[in-house]
This record gives sequence, structure tokens and C-alpha cells, in this order.
Amino acid sequence: MIYLYAIAKGLTTVPDVQGLEGAPLDRQRFDDFDLVVSEHAAKVEPSEEAVLVHARVVEALMPLAAALLPARFGLAFADTAALEQALREKAGTLEESLERVRGRVELGVRVVGEQSAPRDVENGREYLEARRRQVAAADELHESLAARARASARGNASGGLVLSGAYLVDPGSIPAFREAVGELESEHPSLSFALTGPWPPYSFAGVES
Amino acid sequence: MSDPLDKVLGASGDLDLVAAQLDGVRNAFPRRVNADPERVEKGLAQLVLTLIELLRQLMERQALHRMEEGALSEEEIERLGETFMKLSQRMDELKVEFGLEDKDLNLELGPLGNLL
Amino acid sequence: MNDTPARPLEQQVTLLELVDRVLNKGVVLSGDITLSVADVDLVYVSLRVLLASAGTLDRLALENGNGS
Repeated sequence: MIYLYAIAKGLTTVPDVQGLEGAPLDRQRFDDFDLVVSEHAAKVEPSEEAVLVHARVVEALMPLAAALLPARFGLAFADTAALEQALREKAGTLEESLERVRGRVELGVRVVGEQSAPRDVENGREYLEARRRQVAAADELHESLAARARASARGNASGGLVLSGAYLVDPGSIPAFREAVGELESEHPSLSFALTGPWPPYSFAGVES
Repeated sequence: MSDPLDKVLGASGDLDLVAAQLDGVRNAFPRRVNADPERVEKGLAQLVLTLIELLRQLMERQALHRMEEGALSEEEIERLGETFMKLSQRMDELKVEFGLEDKDLNLELGPLGNLL
Repeated sequence: MNDTPARPLEQQVTLLELVDRVLNKGVVLSGDITLSVADVDLVYVSLRVLLASAGTLDRLALENGNGS
């Protein structure tokens, strides 16, 4: 069984870290892509530790590749042929995604507030108006951050989660991005912000971003 | 890249709230199959309520768009608003019944991406 | 993750953000033997089907300016 950690371009070397269940990392070439994999005799047990190992491998790869697409946790294939078949189907989008993330990193912004469904409203219209204001406020936060990024992605918002955003940036823009978040923080004292990163570009690796 | 656990670049307000929000991602984590009927039922309720919540958000967003475009009559606005309001209240009741919180219904959709 | 109250809050947040990314984001390829418990996969599959159609309806309604 072959387990996939990431797809890369310009991978200089395999990092000196272990893969799942202590298996060594291996590098395979397919077309223009460098694949980082490990081989296993039997199905690997999913576990919390395995998730962390996967993350560690991806993290270690970042400085070693010109462009890197992290794989989601759990992609295992019966053999190389199966993996290559799957890659063949996606080759076009993979190329695109790799070019988009080349030299860039992901920043995450999570905004949490006390807002949930509007409560002190008298009727249907007031409810929708209040919801509209909530949605507009969240959109505004996202738009102002997206304007400072090369690409952005947004997660579901619900309950107290006002915004969950991912922003693809050049590492050099991180200080300015931090400042921008700081400004939003001071403009919205009732909200809690968490800016995290830099992350490998997990949120920009898929087809939909 | 530094230590994978050293990634908070900045935070303000109550980080506890943020951490609590993120708690929901644990629910997406593969667990051992649990045959305890109560947990199965709760898991099912979580799934169903998550679906309803997502659909509600989709429909609400659509209604908000149309309201902004002026494509809804006063009566329609009132009726839709009331419906969403009642649905939201009913959801709150169901969440309490099943011991679920907002963060439990924030199931990410993985490769499907983000519809909202 | 075990509840680790001893771990600084910031590390907790990072850990959770990390798990969120690794489990929910990243490249997905077809034909894989996903390392997940079967019921989690079922959730994804059935949600995908249901919400794909709901999303399409939503999009169509917006495009046409009239709704169902």
C-alpha cells in the first residue's frame, strides 16, 4: 500500500523525518510531479498520532520544494499504478494549483463572536434584516483580508463563528497582513480573532478553491 | 516553517472561545466504531442537524440576496423571516435535546469545499 | 486529541487548526483507500450528493432571478 503525503515541484531532497508507523519517506516521479510517499505492508491505522506525523512530514517538505500541495490525510493506494491513475485524472488542476501556491504560504483567520441567530427581534422582517447585517459584517471582514492575499478560501460560518478564512500570501506580506488583522481587531472589540500560520497551503490544494 | 505547534501569529479577545469553536473538528476525526446506541443516536442527530443547519444557511442566503435585489414583497419577506426564525428556534430546542452545541454542527465538508 | 489543560491555549488552537487542515483540506484524489472509519466516509458521500444538488438549485435560482 502506498500512502501519499504531498505533490511537489522542484523537490530538492526528501526530509529527514519518518512517515506513518515509522516507515521511511520515499520520493517518486510522475510526469512533472514529485510525489512524496511511504510504503506499507498493510493498511495503516488512522490515529491521532498518524495525523500529527502526516502534518510533520508536510511541514518538513515546505522549505525543500519550489511548490507543494499537501495531500489530505488518508490517501492510500493499492499500488503505484493506482496512484498514477488518480494523478492522471487530475493532472491539469494539479498543475494549476501548484503554480498558484508556488513560493506562497497560507494564513488562517478565525473570528468568533457572541452573535448567533438574532434573538431580540419582533417579526420576520426584523429577523432577516438582522441576519443581513450579520452576513454583511462577516463578508466585509473577509473581503478586506482577501484584498491583501493572492487567493482566499472561506469556511462555513455558524453559531458563534463569524468567519473562518484562509489566505494565500507571499511570505513577505505577512507583517502587513498581521497589521491588517490588528486593525480589524481594534475596529471590532466585541469579536475574538485568531491569526495562525504560516501553514502549508492545505486550503488551496483542492479543485474548488 | 517552525515548530508545527507554534503558529499563532496574533490573537485578540477570548482565545478560549476560538479554541471552543475549533473543538468541533474533533468530531470529524475517525473514531473506532462505537456500538453504544445512545452515541449512535447522537451521532445521527448531529449529522441530521448539521444538514438542516447547512440547508437553512443556504436558503437564508438566497432569501437575503433576493431581499436585497428587491425581488420580494413585504409579505414574502415577513413570511420567510418568520419561517427562518421559527426554524432557528426549533433547531435550538433540538440541539438542547441531543446535547449538541453550535460547534458540533460545524462539520466541514472536506473535498466538497465550501458551499456557503 | 486528549484534553490537555496543561497545554498553553495558543498551542491548543494551533493543534486544532492543524488537525482541521490535515483532515479536511489538502489534495484529494479518487480511487484511494481512504484511511478513515467507514461511517465518516458515508457522511462525506451522502452530504456531497445532497448538498451538490442544493448548491446547484441555489445557483440556478440566483441566476434566473426567480426561485422554487
